[in-house]
Amino acid sequence: MDDTDPDEALLARVAVGEPAAVRALVGRKLPRLMSLAQRMLGDAAEAEDVAQEAFLRVWKQAPRWRPGRAKFDTWLHRVALNLCYDRLRRRREVATDQPPEQIDPGPPPDRGLEARDTAARVSQALAALPDRQREAIVLCHYQELGNIEAATVMGVSVEALESLLGRGRRALRAALADMAER
Amino acid sequence: MAPGDVGMTRERFESLAEAYGGDVSRWPAPAREAAALMMASEPGFTQAALARAGALDAALDAWRPAHAGQALLARILAAAPRARRRGWIGWLSPAALGAGLAAACVAGVMVGVELSQHTSAAREVAVTNTLTAVSSSLDLEEGA
Repeated sequence: MDDTDPDEALLARVAVGEPAAVRALVGRKLPRLMSLAQRMLGDAAEAEDVAQEAFLRVWKQAPRWRPGRAKFDTWLHRVALNLCYDRLRRRREVATDQPPEQIDPGPPPDRGLEARDTAARVSQALAALPDRQREAIVLCHYQELGNIEAATVMGVSVEALESLLGRGRRALRAALADMAER
Repeated sequence: MAPGDVGMTRERFESLAEAYGGDVSRWPAPAREAAALMMASEPGFTQAALARAGALDAALDAWRPAHAGQALLARILAAAPRARRRGWIGWLSPAALGAGLAAACVAGVMVGVELSQHTSAAREVAVTNTLTAVSSSLDLEEGA
């Protein structure tokens, strides 16, 4: 595994307030944060709140970042996931028997009704998974983290990660049977 | 690497496809070589397993997240660190000290004017002269 952190140099420039570095870091990480939070929460507006809060943590942490201790992207994923779990917990505290109204699947308007319906179904199927299975699938499939990095973010072994992925994907296949069978 | 990845079995191949999807390039690196060997030796079985996993991958990819709005971007950038401006030590420069002293003189003169309700015309002239001198001093400091 390559141990160098591709974000480290950029983060050092952010720490001294270099505007170009700030913009570059936002350009690099904001789409990933939006992707992560929307897949975890199923809600674009809440995902924006999570992304904004995560960046506040980044700005605070940048001057104190100690290279070599953890990969910045791994840390950022953990921060964003914690913020997502805070929101999921709050939802459960006010939950009724109905799942949260779904949700913003987010396809562009020109993709048509069929695409919108497909996206909504995937969003609902993911939302119905147990949190840890959804987290594993979001990290590995959507965020494209390697298995070791995803396991690190989740604080589990690679074997446990694989088990979560397998169970989650089997449940998704059952939920999306007409879409996911050849 | 899981124990079965060197000598890949059908069961292990299916588990990997189930966990990591139908694109072997996204599987854990240590498993890929053994997977490639099995794909060469058992193409029917492996292609079927990858196709099943790939169909789910495609379904998952149908959900694309919304992009961040401009307002969010602006809020994030507004909170970002900025390069530090000159700190308090910069105020120790000679020009800045001079300007500070001149401002203190102006304040003192104004207080004096307030207190002396019965000043003579001659004294008013003197005060005016003092203010003019202070003002000139400030101009000089700003030009320094």
